[in-house]
Amino acid sequence: TSRTLIEIYPLYQLGNPQLRIFRPTFNLTLVRPGKEQPPDTVQFRIPLEMTKFDVRNYLEKIYSVPVAAVRTRIQYCTNKKRNHLNQRVKRPDYKVAYVQLAQQQTFQFPDIFPEKDRKHEEGSVEEMQEKFMEDERQRQKPDPRRGGVTEWFGL
Amino acid sequence: MAAAVTSRLTAAVCRQFQRVVTVSSYTQPQCATQAFSKFHSCQRRQTYDSWWFRSSTNNRALHTSCVREGLEDFFDLPENWGEQTVKSGAPWTGKQLRVKSNEDLHKLWYVLLKEKNMLLTLEQEAKRQRLPMPSPERLKKVERSMKRLDTVVTEREDSLRLLQTGQERGRPGEWRRNVFGKTFWYRFKEHPIPWYLNSRYKRRRFFEPSHVAPYTRLSLEKYLRSKIRKEKREKRNQKMLAAVFPKKTALA
Repeated sequence: TSRTLIEIYPLYQLGNPQLRIFRPTFNLTLVRPGKEQPPDTVQFRIPLEMTKFDVRNYLEKIYSVPVAAVRTRIQYCTNKKRNHLNQRVKRPDYKVAYVQLAQQQTFQFPDIFPEKDRKHEEGSVEEMQEKFMEDERQRQKPDPRRGGVTEWFGL
Repeated sequence: MAAAVTSRLTAAVCRQFQRVVTVSSYTQPQCATQAFSKFHSCQRRQTYDSWWFRSSTNNRALHTSCVREGLEDFFDLPENWGEQTVKSGAPWTGKQLRVKSNEDLHKLWYVLLKEKNMLLTLEQEAKRQRLPMPSPERLKKVERSMKRLDTVVTEREDSLRLLQTGQERGRPGEWRRNVFGKTFWYRFKEHPIPWYLNSRYKRRRFFEPSHVAPYTRLSLEKYLRSKIRKEKREKRNQKMLAAVFPKKTALA
């Protein structure tokens, strides 16, 4: 079934079939934990409407990740900040899920922005800029003959 | 053949662990993802198979317990880490999506969903590291593709429902008047009890009290006045333009 503007699920009464969502609209964001977490714990930011069971099914069905346990909490974000019109601006709340992997698996958040030495092609704008910056830095350096002594006194 | 060799090697390497090799039932159809990725002109993950021992011929993914399985889908290909820009193709248009079958659209939805999750993870990590996110336009492309997919699917469902039952809407509703005299489309909700036993529902009044009726008339008059004013303004504008730019008939 397609989603409507506001997700309204059919009413559940004892004996009804299990609710199934085709084409889920939930998005999971893997985040680097702020505090040190055990090696088998993965931290996600999930929409407020998701539950622990939803997270477990989502990861197991879509990503085939074996989940042992899920714990969630809601992070309340500030409504105190004000904009240039002195109106209060709310930072949206979000739910955090701590997922523990089964089968003694571990997860370490990788470094997604490693330092890569970029070689610019010959004659490009970036190469000229780089060269210019290099020259500037060379010009700003103090006289090496003074041996590290400052230039604001002396001859 | 090569897959079997590598699997035996990995089994030998990881023999110290309890569950040595888990062959997951999760299949990522090779040709499907290539065709169904958001960028229908760009090469995607299936060409890359050395990192997690996935062979191009074998459909079943092979994982060892030392590698974080499935969670790799939350990140881009390792060769794209640290790049300033990542190339991506155009988003899916409605015209392209209408050609696809329902199964294909279903699979594409999940491909787009996983891509969106990956991009959101990347965005959050970039914010954390205080670095610019490489190619943020990919997020917009994915969102638009998903929206269009949803439009196509709802179109198909609506037409099916119309043909089978004659119902225009999936969710029943009716026109009602609220306490303020405004007419609106009330959409029904599912309740376990009938309305006459629902005390909270009975407190909601779907009629306008007698003292509100004059205000309904006044707001209607206001609306009509504004409509007439708008039409008059349009006519005045056209007249002024006609005076400035007189119509000259083409001289033969």
